[in-house]
Amino acid sequence: MRSLRLLLVFAAAFFAGPAHAGADLSLEAPILKEEVASRRLPPVEKRLPSEPRVINVAELGGQPGKNGGTLRFLMGDARDIRMASLYGYTRLVVFDTKGTLVPDILLSADVQEGRIFTFKLRPGHRWSDGQPFTAEDFRYWWEDVANNERLNPDGPPAQMLVAGEKPTFEVVDETTVRFTWNAPNPSFLPSLAAAQPAQIMMPAHYMKQFHKKYADPNRLASLVAQEHVKDWGALHDRKSRWYRPENPELPTLSPWRPRTTPPAELFVFERNPYFHRVDENGRQLPYIDTMTMSIGSSSLVPAKVGSGAADLAARYIRFEDYTFLKAGEQRNDYSVRLWERGEGSYASLVPNLNVSDPVWRALFRDVRVRRALSVGFDRHTVNQVIFFGLAHEGANTVLPDSPLYDPKLDQAWAKYDPDLANKLLDEAGLNRRDDDGIRLLPDGRRAEITIETAGDSTEESDILELVGYDWQKIGIKLFVRATQRDVLRRRVIGGNVMMSVWPGMDNATPAPDMDPSALAPMDSMQFQWPLWGQYQSTMGREGEKPDMPAVVELITLKNDWSHSTTTEERRRIWSRMLEINAEEVFSIGVVNRVKQPVVVSNRLRNVPIEGVYGFEPGAYFGIYMPDTFWFDDVAKAN
Amino acid sequence: MTDATTNLKLPPSGAPLPHSVCVLPFSPTAPEALSEAQKKVYLAPQLTLMWWKFKRHRLALASGIFLLVLYASILICEFLAPYDYQSRHVDFIRSPPQRVHLFHEGTFVGPFVYGRKYELDMNALRRTYTEDRTRVEPIRFFCRGDPYMFWGLIKGDRHLFCPAEGGTLFLLGTDRLGRDMLSRMIYGARISLTIGLIGITVSFTLGIIIGGLAGYYGGTFDLVVQRVIEIIQSLPHIPLWLALSAIMPPSWSPIAVYFTITLILGLMDWTGLARAVRSKLLSLRENDYVVAAQLMGASTPRIVFRHLVPGFMSHLIASATITIPTMILGETALSFLGLGLRPPITSWGVMLNEAQNINVVVLYPWLVFPVVPVIVVILAFNFLGDGLRDAADPY
Repeated sequence: MRSLRLLLVFAAAFFAGPAHAGADLSLEAPILKEEVASRRLPPVEKRLPSEPRVINVAELGGQPGKNGGTLRFLMGDARDIRMASLYGYTRLVVFDTKGTLVPDILLSADVQEGRIFTFKLRPGHRWSDGQPFTAEDFRYWWEDVANNERLNPDGPPAQMLVAGEKPTFEVVDETTVRFTWNAPNPSFLPSLAAAQPAQIMMPAHYMKQFHKKYADPNRLASLVAQEHVKDWGALHDRKSRWYRPENPELPTLSPWRPRTTPPAELFVFERNPYFHRVDENGRQLPYIDTMTMSIGSSSLVPAKVGSGAADLAARYIRFEDYTFLKAGEQRNDYSVRLWERGEGSYASLVPNLNVSDPVWRALFRDVRVRRALSVGFDRHTVNQVIFFGLAHEGANTVLPDSPLYDPKLDQAWAKYDPDLANKLLDEAGLNRRDDDGIRLLPDGRRAEITIETAGDSTEESDILELVGYDWQKIGIKLFVRATQRDVLRRRVIGGNVMMSVWPGMDNATPAPDMDPSALAPMDSMQFQWPLWGQYQSTMGREGEKPDMPAVVELITLKNDWSHSTTTEERRRIWSRMLEINAEEVFSIGVVNRVKQPVVVSNRLRNVPIEGVYGFEPGAYFGIYMPDTFWFDDVAKAN
Repeated sequence: MTDATTNLKLPPSGAPLPHSVCVLPFSPTAPEALSEAQKKVYLAPQLTLMWWKFKRHRLALASGIFLLVLYASILICEFLAPYDYQSRHVDFIRSPPQRVHLFHEGTFVGPFVYGRKYELDMNALRRTYTEDRTRVEPIRFFCRGDPYMFWGLIKGDRHLFCPAEGGTLFLLGTDRLGRDMLSRMIYGARISLTIGLIGITVSFTLGIIIGGLAGYYGGTFDLVVQRVIEIIQSLPHIPLWLALSAIMPPSWSPIAVYFTITLILGLMDWTGLARAVRSKLLSLRENDYVVAAQLMGASTPRIVFRHLVPGFMSHLIASATITIPTMILGETALSFLGLGLRPPITSWGVMLNEAQNINVVVLYPWLVFPVVPVIVVILAFNFLGDGLRDAADPY
């Protein structure tokens, strides 16, 4: 039945072809004109879904453009090609710049009682290889991947479970699917719109050739041997990886499809001729034909950007590079804009409540110590010395752009007050000092805190140096140790790190409907409580059971949120969780709203003058839709 | 000439010769009697000869004096530096070097600097400093400045020179936290220069003992030592440093880290020297005076260290002066890679590590200045070593 329908679609496309042979190609991207004219590619109206997503570029503050050009990016690591999935920001539903969820790939997402999710697809929507995108792609993922013993031995991913229960999945018709849970699942839609989203569909027509259930066993066996993988499951995993687009053959729905197989120095992404968005003039997006990512050493990125080697750049560019980049503006025809970074704190000091040293563990769990450390250094100096006073001095909490912002929490325990710090430390039992004025721990050791950093930022070490000067005055000696990102993670989880430096809340502009997981122990990547997080994420199989009352309350609140049905209820839970985090100072924020230099070629249009640069909720540039950026070559000629 | 020899008559042929002893005093130097001046030269001891030879190598002599001064200076760096190496000047961040003038508007004032005006260029986000020609800030000498603990023992606040009251004196500019670069370089010399000496002590002790024994005994012991040396030499240095610095507990104080690093450098470096000592000994031990010493019952250490080592001491001195720069460079390289010393300790390597990005090169070039002492010191050591090697064989 399905194949018959497929056949019909093709037949229709074929017979419709001649009628369009001499048709109007003005809306066609120039790069595709020849292919369309020679009928190797159907014309644009046949490639688009019958109801494409219309982006009103002018309404967004831009100007509608034209197709063409190459957008060049510089990256520091081959793994950074995942930026293509972020900058493309094509999800079933997406956040817009105001933080509201809007359907993107989906035509509509209907939610009833917070637990019945009906997704309508765009009729005629196609994958980048021209095959139809249908309910079958959802069914394949749910039945043959998520619930397949080999591919997901633990069952479907956590986002798909509510209190451990799976949803009922139904294919309503060719373009409609429905997930039904017994209880509300408020995190479902936000998780689909996340920068790294939950994946609930797959290009079935392509993936079936790697699936044991569908593939010809001999061919599959030879593929497994050819790819040097263990079995078909590993092959399927590898071939279906889309977030880091390493398989150019995998069909995609993103604006640009990968064209390079790693390893490579230059990754090329070409326009997806079947992309489902158009501008108000009916011109298919993306405007830009090709996107390239050149991989080099990350420390050389600012130098290369300054010599005009990128059309759009923000990754690996730091605030301190602004002066240098600004100096090259005229010469290399770009302009540097200052966006705002979207994290809760540019760098936050994170005491490890699960550190293996028992004395320090007890001290860090004492809220007086955490508060003393927070009020024990002068954020104003940091701001002046490193950020020219352009950052905001405050705790690690949400930013004013969030409806949950509360200035009281922003300033909680964030004002420099050495007397208060001394008093709190004295009360916490650190009242003895040695000849150098350094406090002595209860067991007689000197109060020396080693802070470990990921080691790739001079700003971080400058901040720590300034913090160290102030802490010395309250009798705490600070040592800095630079390691590497992965090493640091492992050491934190192992309990070897007393305190680390890490950016604050990833998503500091949340709406109440977004998941508050960052505020409670949820996984082992949270450096303030790695073991408690591990306990929660493994359902108690590994890690340690949280035993601090405030932390237990946070977990309860997070669970309440997961069962909540109204936005009002969620707002209340969020506020309480933010309040606990602010009062307990689980992580010590330094400054936030730090400016992020964004280098934009003067030929590139529609890049906002001001914006928020953050992973969540925005996928860096993604939320500003780089598919609507375009090159104005006339400007260059003038 | 009326002595016995003249009266001597030869016996007839075939008859035995009569026994005769010359009764005159005998002087072996008589045929070439030396004047006082000649005596001074020809009978000069080895060291004096070396010194004469060394003196003729002008470059080596200059380098030697330069290094002596430098090493003397690290003893009193608290006094020499105008500021404490940790004192920050928030209003003078990344301030370029101030020039020393002598004349102000045509009149002689003595050494002084002009005051600085500081502006924040919010457009380019850059701190700009302009000279304020009206503010003459004479440099003070033997003045009171930042307090310090001399050698960590004696309190003091005297400095060789300091800024005018309320003024500034950044002869080599300031770094990103507003610390005086010159003072930091003077303090940094203390670490950078001594790390070489400590490292060389470790590597020489090991090299001479192990190489000496291997060369003297030979046989199985020699074989084992040679293989061990080959293994150590074939280890790639940088990954090894990486590993060693990773296992150093982070809670160690920077001083402990410093000593460990010198130890690591020393432990890596003895192999070349051990080889040289061994081969020298292999040839020297065949000499007759060694056999004589053995026959007289001297112990092995005595033979090696009393009779053999002095035989190639000159070689050792020369190779030491060439090894010290390697140690200094080693520390610089380690710190440059971020594996070596950590703040608050400062060394030239640490300072260079902080200077390694495009912004510094383009906008704040004076932060790269610690390269200069590194280059100069290493050149000086190489010239000195060159001179010593020539001098070691004065004949």
